[in-house]
Amino acid sequence: MQTKFTTNQLKNPGIAEANKILRNCVHCGFCTATCPTYVLLGDENDSPRGRIYLIKEMLEKGEPATAEVTKHVDRCLSCLSCMSTCPSGVHYMHLVDQARVHIEKTYKRPWMQRALRGLLAAILPYPGRFRLIAGLGRPFKAFSAVLNVFKPTRSLGAMLQLLPKARLASPQTKRQVHFASGAREPKGRVILHPGCAQQVLRPEINEATIRLLNRLDIEVVVPENLECCGALVHHMGREAQALTQARKNIDVWLAETNRYEVDAIISNASGCGVVVKDYGHMLRLDQKYADGAAQISSLVKDISEYLATLELPKGDLDEQMNIAYHSACSLQHGQQIKTTPANLLSQAGFTVKAIPEGHLCCGSAGTYNILHSGIADRLLERKLAAIETVQPDIVAAGNIGCMTQIARKSAVPVVHTVELLDWATGGPVPTQIRAHGRTASARS
Amino acid sequence: MDGRIFKPNETREIAELIAWAVSENQPLEVIGAGTKRDIGRASNCEYVLDVSAMTGIMLYEPEELILQAHAGTPLEDIEKALKKHNQELAFEPADYSALLGVKKAKPTIGGILAGNISGPRRIKAGAARDHFLGVNAVSGRGEIFKSGGRVVKNVTGYDMCKIMAGSWGTLGVMSDVVVKVLPAPAGQASIVVLGLSNEQAIAAMAQAMKSDCEVTGAAHLPLDIAKKSKISEIKDLKKPATIFRLEGVGPSVTYRRDRLIAILATFGKCEVLKAAISRNLWREICDVTYFVEPAARCVWRISTTPGEAAKLVAALKKHGSVSAYFDWAGGLIWLSLAAKDDALAGPLRELLGHHGGHATLIRAPAALRAAIPVFQPQNPGLKLLSQRLKRGFDPSGILNPGRMYAGV
Amino acid sequence: MSNLVMPPADRQILARREEIAQALRGFVAFESVITSEEELRPFESDGLTAYKQIPMLAVLPSTTQEVSAILKYCYEEGIKVVPRGAGTSLSGGALPLEDGILLGLSKFNEILEIDYDNRVVITQPGVTNLGISQAVEAEGFYYAPDPSSQIACSIGGNIAENSGGVHSLKYGMTTNNVLGLEMVLITGEVMRLGGKHLDAEGYDLLGLMTGSEGLLAVITEVTVRILKKPETARAVLLGFPTSEDAGQCVADVIGNGIIAGGMELMDRPAIHAVEQFVHAGYPLDVEALLIAELDGPAAEVDYLLKQVTKIAKKNNAVSVRVSESEDERLNFWAGRKAAFPAVGRISPDYYCMDGTIPRHQLPKVLARIRELSKKYGLAVANVFHAGDGNLHPLILYDANNPGELEKTEEFGAEILKLCVDVGGVLTGEHGVGVEKRDLMGAMFTDFDLRQQQRVKCAFDDKQLLNPGKVFPTLHRCVELGRTHVHKGQVPFPDIPRF
Repeated sequence: MQTKFTTNQLKNPGIAEANKILRNCVHCGFCTATCPTYVLLGDENDSPRGRIYLIKEMLEKGEPATAEVTKHVDRCLSCLSCMSTCPSGVHYMHLVDQARVHIEKTYKRPWMQRALRGLLAAILPYPGRFRLIAGLGRPFKAFSAVLNVFKPTRSLGAMLQLLPKARLASPQTKRQVHFASGAREPKGRVILHPGCAQQVLRPEINEATIRLLNRLDIEVVVPENLECCGALVHHMGREAQALTQARKNIDVWLAETNRYEVDAIISNASGCGVVVKDYGHMLRLDQKYADGAAQISSLVKDISEYLATLELPKGDLDEQMNIAYHSACSLQHGQQIKTTPANLLSQAGFTVKAIPEGHLCCGSAGTYNILHSGIADRLLERKLAAIETVQPDIVAAGNIGCMTQIARKSAVPVVHTVELLDWATGGPVPTQIRAHGRTASARS
Repeated sequence: MDGRIFKPNETREIAELIAWAVSENQPLEVIGAGTKRDIGRASNCEYVLDVSAMTGIMLYEPEELILQAHAGTPLEDIEKALKKHNQELAFEPADYSALLGVKKAKPTIGGILAGNISGPRRIKAGAARDHFLGVNAVSGRGEIFKSGGRVVKNVTGYDMCKIMAGSWGTLGVMSDVVVKVLPAPAGQASIVVLGLSNEQAIAAMAQAMKSDCEVTGAAHLPLDIAKKSKISEIKDLKKPATIFRLEGVGPSVTYRRDRLIAILATFGKCEVLKAAISRNLWREICDVTYFVEPAARCVWRISTTPGEAAKLVAALKKHGSVSAYFDWAGGLIWLSLAAKDDALAGPLRELLGHHGGHATLIRAPAALRAAIPVFQPQNPGLKLLSQRLKRGFDPSGILNPGRMYAGV
Repeated sequence: MSNLVMPPADRQILARREEIAQALRGFVAFESVITSEEELRPFESDGLTAYKQIPMLAVLPSTTQEVSAILKYCYEEGIKVVPRGAGTSLSGGALPLEDGILLGLSKFNEILEIDYDNRVVITQPGVTNLGISQAVEAEGFYYAPDPSSQIACSIGGNIAENSGGVHSLKYGMTTNNVLGLEMVLITGEVMRLGGKHLDAEGYDLLGLMTGSEGLLAVITEVTVRILKKPETARAVLLGFPTSEDAGQCVADVIGNGIIAGGMELMDRPAIHAVEQFVHAGYPLDVEALLIAELDGPAAEVDYLLKQVTKIAKKNNAVSVRVSESEDERLNFWAGRKAAFPAVGRISPDYYCMDGTIPRHQLPKVLARIRELSKKYGLAVANVFHAGDGNLHPLILYDANNPGELEKTEEFGAEILKLCVDVGGVLTGEHGVGVEKRDLMGAMFTDFDLRQQQRVKCAFDDKQLLNPGKVFPTLHRCVELGRTHVHKGQVPFPDIPRF
């Protein structure tokens, strides 16, 4: 597409990058076909092609973002389905990230929005605080229905709805090294990124990850002083906060990799994995951190990606179980890992069913289901209906956000892929499955 | 020789003739060889514009899949030329001469297109209008215009060929046409399932059409019709016959035949008819041979939702005695009945409103055709639009006025 | 932007913009009327980005009643309307007008009925072409016309343009696969044509509407045929040392009575661009790649594949690869189908031409295009529907270079005129739109165009629907309606008159 940046504007590296991305777009419209908001709303402004155009106009003008552009960019889920579809290689993710930063810097949001976003940015990335506030909020979960009626309080209602019934765990604070005791030498060593909200909401995910890796003779290190990966605030356009968190994490990880050899940094929340893999790009202009960031990004692997390089033992569960595999956007589109998790589950002896319209987001999208609960709810309904058509016993996913969203209304237990793989190879019945009333199956 | 007949030899003459007709306010009956003159409301024009002198294939490029001919070229000339290159007009043009009691005249390509006369293979290959690529014509203003071209893929401007097809000479006089031609299949065979009721036959034909066997003909002859067939394999069996045609190279036909027989197993036993017999049988079905006699009976051509065809006929039978058979897997019903009252036009049209589709009174005495609408009456909006369209081509109402609808 | 002349804007209408927006909000939800300049910009262009025009307003209705109310109002007020489907047109069919309302049908995105027994699908016009096939896939059916943009283009737009696709050779274009529609005239009148039955009643208005490029009526519902998928389909990639060899191969295949499911040609630049994106294993060292697909019963397909391969080898084919699985077959096609936007990787902009020629003229036309490419200094990647002679030369340019767009347009126009000169037509499937409007005179006489415009007048006598598209000169309907009376001249003087 034609762009109209001045030579002066192009001196700014951000604009230069945006220009490059925009010139790749030929306005073909293929992206509109797989965009959840376009599918729901049918408005060009809520399609990737339209957003690209809006962002182009906004950056070319060099003026503060307006309410209109903000509205449409806010509505973007950053599911990146468009990137999977685009035949011209447009890096939409980097473009919309830039747009969000510009909006955050130049647009004055209505005070309620500012308050809410500020609250989310101050709580969600900090597990300790999150546990405290979530614990306080839980008794009020029943009021979420009332809060959902009024537009101003809808986000509050959405937040309450997302709180789980199960215990809220304490986040880990000290460095831990996990390896099965015994004479065996570890065949490999990985660092596990424990995540933020995940530790509080579903501690069993990390527990299963560690158990499984140990069973495969992999030593797992969980460092201390790690921050949230930065995804949550990065998607809100709070670049400075996100980069600060990224730098802290890079320092911690580099400290580990400098001590001894590490095969990979494992992420078991694809929403984090996709951002940490992008650290190299995010910090490319930071003289001090550019190299370290690139090094860290190259080490990051999603748990499924890493497991595929190992020899998993055959699954030995007795009964046949139908698993509906929900492919998280950050995994299939963001990291382009599409079939690996389902393959692993099949090899472990589960019957895996693909969910129709699998490319469409469930509506979680980080804080989207809080900030845009209307659209998020519609997407959830659509996803649940699709899941229903394959009549599964269990829904599996590779991202805490999706799991929390779908579990709100799912008729069947929602678990992490790694929990099932752990179970199939000798681990305990996953917590949620037990909670739904199923006991351990006999082992053959 | 009838002095009221004008037989132009070239396009320019057609134009001059029409211009004269406009200035003299003299409507013209437009005919090719006149085989289908009696379809439609009767003409009361003093003068006739006869295109049959404009004959001859102008351009035939087998590898380009196109043939261009003057509109008055006899169909059989075209078919002969195509046969030499193993090609055909895939839409299987029908010849209604016998049905309409016309002797000594054979259909022209222009007439075929003007009536959109398509045969059983329409279900697979499309109708005449789907093979009509280009036209040179003269409007009712005496202006020469063209549309389309001599290539199979063309969307330049409005698709005037479509609007000319099936317009029965009311919009313009075609002087030459370009049609799409396709390779003729190497061989064919037909499968016959015997003894099915109309409802069962519709279900069987739906199954066949939903399969991947590439059926190129699906017809059902109830008992009274089957008995009229001249094909002994059908007539002698004295049962209703549901017939499916398969075309292509030998091994492919055999394979698909066996596959289709398996699919239809729940409906009954299948007889197989070899190529020559199959060809003759489909010729009968195509040309409505069953209703040639008795010539006094009226014949309706009904186009309806395939799945509704049997219900439609059953409902109509409640209003009077009719004889019917089904083509296009039920999408086309040929119906004959006695020529009295309104030939069941009322009940038929009402039922069509319910089941979908339309009916044309193909054969009936002139008086009857003057008394009841021959073509399906249109709702007011569509009627006005058709009238406006007609005026756009023929403002003075010179070409076959009233042929399709009164006042158009 | 280059000099594209559109009908002059009506200043009075523009002055009433606020009032009109207000009135439209009486018919649809508030958010469905778009008024801010920012939010109108994304509508200023369709797939032909060389041309941009911001509309006065945009409105996105959700029901037929809303469309009817909007059009009726526009008719009464004399406001121009430009309908838009998915905005993927490559001929500028949805290019807005300065004083016009852009009527977007993208909210009409539901499939209404699937009737397997009668083999039809009834759908709203905003459903994508591929969406229809996907809806009937589980039962083994599909909708045959498959334009390359099928993932995104709307069925309503397909009807407006009479879209084709790779499989049109064997299965026809949109017009051969549509059985009915519901449409709204500019007066607000709602009409239904056809249905589940196979033939038109009366005049074939359905055939006329298909390919009418949004000039005659707005489509609000569509009934299309669906087919059972063939038992098997296999594709073969054939690489040739020259495009002449490839073209001759195609002619020979058809000459031997084989109608392939699809036959597509790509030249070297196109091959390289798509291989990067799709990794289908396209040979990178050939001048022309022919992708042929045979479908039908397995035995027949195998037999025909052997025939085609034999013919290819006789025509100097240097590489032959047959698909061994369904995934592989789809992968072969994925590249071809993404050819246009994939070219976006090797060039900032491209101008996609669309013309049809008699197939045997292919080598001559290709040679001439190569000459013109040198003359204009602009590279060309070529993609063809070789089976039906429909050409898509893609002229590569950079809109940011001053003057390059104009040069590109000139180059394109020369190619199209060449198509007509060798016996072909201006557009095989993308439509005339604005892109080829001014070339209509190369193919049609004034009489031809006037007759077509009279058809328009029967539908839209005020010429409010999409004016400025398809026809280079707008005659007023009153003027077109006059009859010329010949005085004196009598033909056939020797025939007696009574």
